[in-house]
Amino acid sequence: MRTNIFIKAKRLVKVFSYLLPLTSYLFISCSENYLDVESKTESNTSNFYKTQNDAYRALIGCYDGWRQTSSNPGFAFYVASEVMGAECFGATGNTDGRGYQAVDRFDIAQSSSDLNLYEADWARYYQGIYRCNELIKYEPQIEWKNEALHEIYMGECHALRAIMYFDLVRMFGNIPLLTVATEENVPQADPAEVYQVIFDDLQYAIDHIPANAYPKADAANNDGHVTKYAAEALYARAYLYYTGYYGASIEGVTKEKALSYCEDVISSGEYALVPEYKNLWPAASAGIAEVGDAITLLGSYAGDGNSETILAMKFTNTQDYNGNNDSNRWQVMLGMRNLPVAPYGRGWGALTVNPQFVNQYEAGDTRKKASVIDIVNEGIVNADGFEASFKDQREYTGYVIKKYSPLCFADGTSAVKIDGSGGFQEQNHQDWVIMRYADVLLMAAELGSGSAQSYLDKVRARAGLQPVAVSKAAIMKERKFEFAFEAINYWDLLRQGVDYAAQQIATNGIDVLSGGNADKVVISAENILAKKGLCQIPQNQIILSNGVLKQNAGW
Amino acid sequence: MQKNSFKQSLLIVLLFTMQALSATLSAKPVNGKVTSATDGEPLIGATVQVQGTKTGSVTDLDGNYTINAEQGQTLVFSYVGYLTKTVKVGGGSTIDVTLEEDRQSLEEVVVIGYGVQKKKLLTGATTQVKGEDIAKMNTTSPLQAMQGQTPGVSIQSTSGQPGSGLKVQIRGLGTVGSSGPLYLIDGIGGDINTLNPADIESIDVLKDAASAAIYGAQAANGVVLVTTKNGREGKAEISFDAYYGWENVARKAPMLNSSEYMTIMNEQQINSGNQPYDFTKMKSIYDPQGNLYDTNWIDQMFKDNAKQESYNLGITGGNKVSTFALSLGYMSQEGIVGGKDVSNYERYNFRINSEHKIIDKLLKVGEQVSYVYTKTTGIGVGNQYNNTLRGAFGTSPLAPVYATNIFDGSQADAGSEASSYNGFYGSPYNATDYSDWYLYDGNPYGSMMTNTNNENKGAVFSGNVYAELTPMKGLTLRSVFGAVYNTSEYRGFTPFYHFSPYNYNDTRTSANQSMNHGLSMTWTNTAQYNWNVADHAFSALLGMEASRYEGTSVGASNGYLKEGFDDWKHAYVNNGTATSTDDGLGAGGSPHGDSRNVSYFGRLGWNWKETYMINATLRADGSSKFASGHRFGWFPSVSAGWTISNEKFMQSVSSWMDFLKLRVSWGQVGNQNISDYQYLAPVKNTNTHYLFGTSGYDDTESVSVLGTNWGAYPSRVANPDVTWETSEQFNIGLDARLIGGHLNVNLDYYIKTTKDWLVTAPVLATVGTGAPTINGGDVKNKGFEFNLAWNDMIGKEFRYNIGVNGAYNKNEVGSIPTDDGIIHGATNQLYDNAPEFYRAQNGHAIGYFWGYKTAGIFQNQQEIDEWISNGNGVLQADVKPGDVKYYDINHDGQINDDDKVDLGNGMPDFTYGFTLGFDWKGLDFSVQASGAVGQKIVQTYRNHANAQANYTTEILQRWTGEGTSNKIPRVTTTNINWQFSDLFVHDGDYLRISTVTLGYDLARIWKNKYCKQLRLYVQAQNLLTFTKYKGMDPEIGYGTDGWVSGVDVGYYPRPRTILVGANVKF
Repeated sequence: MRTNIFIKAKRLVKVFSYLLPLTSYLFISCSENYLDVESKTESNTSNFYKTQNDAYRALIGCYDGWRQTSSNPGFAFYVASEVMGAECFGATGNTDGRGYQAVDRFDIAQSSSDLNLYEADWARYYQGIYRCNELIKYEPQIEWKNEALHEIYMGECHALRAIMYFDLVRMFGNIPLLTVATEENVPQADPAEVYQVIFDDLQYAIDHIPANAYPKADAANNDGHVTKYAAEALYARAYLYYTGYYGASIEGVTKEKALSYCEDVISSGEYALVPEYKNLWPAASAGIAEVGDAITLLGSYAGDGNSETILAMKFTNTQDYNGNNDSNRWQVMLGMRNLPVAPYGRGWGALTVNPQFVNQYEAGDTRKKASVIDIVNEGIVNADGFEASFKDQREYTGYVIKKYSPLCFADGTSAVKIDGSGGFQEQNHQDWVIMRYADVLLMAAELGSGSAQSYLDKVRARAGLQPVAVSKAAIMKERKFEFAFEAINYWDLLRQGVDYAAQQIATNGIDVLSGGNADKVVISAENILAKKGLCQIPQNQIILSNGVLKQNAGW
Repeated sequence: MQKNSFKQSLLIVLLFTMQALSATLSAKPVNGKVTSATDGEPLIGATVQVQGTKTGSVTDLDGNYTINAEQGQTLVFSYVGYLTKTVKVGGGSTIDVTLEEDRQSLEEVVVIGYGVQKKKLLTGATTQVKGEDIAKMNTTSPLQAMQGQTPGVSIQSTSGQPGSGLKVQIRGLGTVGSSGPLYLIDGIGGDINTLNPADIESIDVLKDAASAAIYGAQAANGVVLVTTKNGREGKAEISFDAYYGWENVARKAPMLNSSEYMTIMNEQQINSGNQPYDFTKMKSIYDPQGNLYDTNWIDQMFKDNAKQESYNLGITGGNKVSTFALSLGYMSQEGIVGGKDVSNYERYNFRINSEHKIIDKLLKVGEQVSYVYTKTTGIGVGNQYNNTLRGAFGTSPLAPVYATNIFDGSQADAGSEASSYNGFYGSPYNATDYSDWYLYDGNPYGSMMTNTNNENKGAVFSGNVYAELTPMKGLTLRSVFGAVYNTSEYRGFTPFYHFSPYNYNDTRTSANQSMNHGLSMTWTNTAQYNWNVADHAFSALLGMEASRYEGTSVGASNGYLKEGFDDWKHAYVNNGTATSTDDGLGAGGSPHGDSRNVSYFGRLGWNWKETYMINATLRADGSSKFASGHRFGWFPSVSAGWTISNEKFMQSVSSWMDFLKLRVSWGQVGNQNISDYQYLAPVKNTNTHYLFGTSGYDDTESVSVLGTNWGAYPSRVANPDVTWETSEQFNIGLDARLIGGHLNVNLDYYIKTTKDWLVTAPVLATVGTGAPTINGGDVKNKGFEFNLAWNDMIGKEFRYNIGVNGAYNKNEVGSIPTDDGIIHGATNQLYDNAPEFYRAQNGHAIGYFWGYKTAGIFQNQQEIDEWISNGNGVLQADVKPGDVKYYDINHDGQINDDDKVDLGNGMPDFTYGFTLGFDWKGLDFSVQASGAVGQKIVQTYRNHANAQANYTTEILQRWTGEGTSNKIPRVTTTNINWQFSDLFVHDGDYLRISTVTLGYDLARIWKNKYCKQLRLYVQAQNLLTFTKYKGMDPEIGYGTDGWVSGVDVGYYPRPRTILVGANVKF
């Protein structure tokens, strides 16, 4: 028995002495393969950017990135343009932080700990630019099946990058310029270099997107794409801003070129002014509707992608708290503070309208009523909840932006969804019209078009006004009212010189009511001059860059 | 009896006389029984030896022995795990002996990586806790029972909610990433929290790198080895343990009552330049009888006498071929917040372990199999936006809990005439929509009771099968295949509710369900060989291990549940009627990331006469988490020990110094706990859409159209070079056993450096996409641990023990790989729009609190003027007496981020614990306590951005005029005096009497042959807490990130529990 076991044991040892190295060998040899795993649901850069379809998905990614500057913003370009400009005050709730006041008055002492007002915006723009840079980088490795689509996609991609850099450089002036994605700590570029990229990219879009790529006739399906005409109009806008604000020029970027692009848009016949000004804006054309009644709600609104829209940023009411950022997130800011009075939906009461601006409209200008909610004259003061709203409002002026006011139904339910189920804070989705035909007409006039007088007349006639003789001053004045609250006026002021802008924006003290108590808005021209009208660069980014990024003067 | 002893004495005298007469008295047979003092059971195989001779014997299956010994000789009784006892042979021939269990025996073995080792040969720093010590604490999780018993292992609750996990850090926080230790249950990874404490034989914590290095890449944060109970040869033993307890909150936060609240609200108004409120005109704050409402929401949230119960049945036994242990357990615990319906935990455990000798002395096989089923319901215990309890702190006392008027649901019914009402969905709870005090107040209790509809069921089947072959003496080949299959199911329901204009769901009811399953498999093969060459003893271990994990999740949700089926009971996806995602229809299913590991390891041990010893280990680990070329990591260790007490020069002190050993060790271990595919740049295509066209305002289909308009972009920078995080540790320790084994001392000092952290360090925004996981940053933990244990008896029956332990740790971060050397904490955590308040930064502890330092309160205008004229800044735009002086650290006339400083951190500098116990004639008593010193707590029960939020009564000490307070500022409607500063930071030192137990074994007086033990006991858990902290619980493991602790935004406190229980053994 003992021997038996002993023999068995010996045999087993022998077996093991063969088995052990064998199994080890097997494991070592296959362990490299054994350790290879891959995701079953997610692509990565080694297997994406291969097909034309991948390129289309990546282009949507670029549009999404661009839209996130408004659908997932910090301050948002729109809000910044309005708060800094002469049209609006910062306002917001009476107990809110004073960050909006710091921006409005170009004075960090208003809220000295607010050193990162624009951090999210700064990040969103670079995220959008990154997506464009990646698509441009991978362009050569994509198997293009259709050369026409290749041209269009890449044209749009370049245009989007230009649009984002144009916003960024206008706001911050001194920004890092990345045309290839990098993790490096890039210092700020000379603005001229940034504009060079902007003009090159727009030129690329003009040259590559055919005029018939996205015809207006098919707006129902293609509205929102950057067209050749949009790129041309933006080229003119960038030309006017760069030459105006910096008083410099870039080789090959000429007034003649800018004008010819405007004329090209006009002569294309694709666009026309919407006959009634108010119909451009949902809140100005809306009716008092019951929940579910879209027809009454929208009233005479000319609709998204109407004949006048050259470029709009598109939103949908699909914002949620699960990562979808598709809605217009700044719209809620300017709604009346916590006060829905049909058709005007509730908001947070920021961007109250400067009464001095309202007072400057010419008599008979139909744009005034279409642009501004007049709280007293529209009877809102009698509404339930007005008192509470008023007491909670900072820098109440009696005037609120109408063009982008949120909408609600008769019972106060937010109208962001027709069935009334939408969230008033996050699901507003009015398209942001970035370039209107009227703008092209006035830019063409300003750039010295032979038809300058008729272009100006058209715009005035639509507003219900008599013709005036065309001149730079007349055009600039017209622009002010035509494009009020469209995030244009501030930049129009700046391109007439920082001194001029500072004079126009500064105020010795306009009476407002904060929390129902008397308050004054004082904005000093010196503060604006010190900052050259530029925004604060996020301190966190300066810290992260270890000082490679420099704060703008004055901030 | 007396007579007998008289006779005996007489005999002894006689014998001595005889001995004197004849020096050659022959040996006689002596017999007797050896039993254990612990349970009276016979000890099988105990050694009996005649001192100074080679004569020896061993006890049989009944504990009986026979030995030949001469009168006057001394018999030495010894048994592994028991204190040796000596008895002089007298005249009689029967000597029965009861041996005391030796809780600190050096002969005992402890569990080490892939094996066991005699305690006295250990060269690393490990701590063992016995299963019985864990079981008698009656905690839900074994980890909680270890609190205060294991120096160097910090165990903090992350919430008092039943079933919540614990935050465990061994020797300080080593990383901002995954910092929990590796848990191995019988060698296989598993969840220690759901383990039945009654199944545990022992828990061994490997604290130093040398002990843990054999686990290589998974061991950077230490290793916890759990060994479950196995059967023993002998008669089957049945045990039944049960307890039943009542839980209550130990301390509630005192909030302002109505009159105090109104005073403060008015004072705020006046201080902020507004008119005071006219409360007399507000109808909604008075009940129909005209009495002012005065709701204490905190009281309302807590439930009295929430119950806790546990029942456990165990059977062990075996014969010469097979042994087994099986158990069946059930436990449940109700939450003290809201009670069973909203906060509850239930668990069912089943386990069977057995071992079979297939061929005697050659081959044995066995298995350890367990099944756990848990059912959890819980309230939100997260940050300020996901914390159910927090609502109760902010809500004003001026509204009732229940509505006095219930309307039929139409809003038109509800008028401001009614003082309280709920017109929505038949809810009995008050809604504040028409409150003329504060519309947005809401109803935290109603909200909790209405909106907490969730249930998580989890089942884990885990087990291993092993075979062990001993082909020749000293060689053991072992192969273990282990698998853990877990599956879980979640179900949730959102009802209609409406408590305020901010807190409502008027859209639709919805149900969601999800299921997960995962399987991990591990195959381990080891060969162990022990041999001796003269006095040199060697042991070698070689092994390899392969493991993999895979799993899937599926989930679905649906909205608009059909009538009659729109409640929690019927909240299943099939009852939803929605047809579009817009209406809440959703589905998802995805695989979990596959992960795989392959490892090879070895250990070589040597000792000379158990006096000098060296152990060295090496492990190579390959992981699928990293790119080819960066997959394998090498983790070495070496450790040495010197038993000084074996040396000749120690003989002079050997009378009191039984044992003294010095240990030194060094090793490296790794960490690979990151998400999958970090070496690639993933292309994200979810949440990325752009809808072209003019569907516009009236379009309700936009969501579905959106679905097909998806885009994509690379969502993260790839880091192909990402690889192991490494923890390197040096340890020096001393073990001593003194005064006849009564006193045991362990001391350890360590320096642990964790480097090449796997971190997602922030990148510049210009990078434009998600930050990669990189290797960078390090942290040094230095610390000291001690453990003292004293066991002794007074007289024959009174046994007692005292244990004290403590650990000091210092944590300091270095070389964070970002341009600014900082890893930033989350924002928006303490109050609305709150800035970052904690960070990891070079030169500071991980997760230190970063904020303004305050210099008291401005008492008058003159002070303000002087402050400013001295060049100091103020943060308040319109500063007034009563406002907080924030230190202008850099003296630049401005208060901003540059003035924020280190305000301490949430990790204790020193943790300690003590135990005290005695038993006397069947009566037992014990006390366990644990404490911590040096940690700070950031407390913010109030969202200061909301002017109407209630305060704790601390605000009554506010500044109201010159000299009234130099700490708490005047009240205003803004939060300008409540920007994150040291005013939020409190000392968190505490000493907690965690358990006090008193028991009695009735079997002592009620002798019967069936029942060996019948112990009844009462226990108080969390009986007393000594602390200066004014929150509800000073033990706050919660942080808004894993690497920060001590953030109290409304912490679910641990309950105080009184329980009664019984332990029965047959």
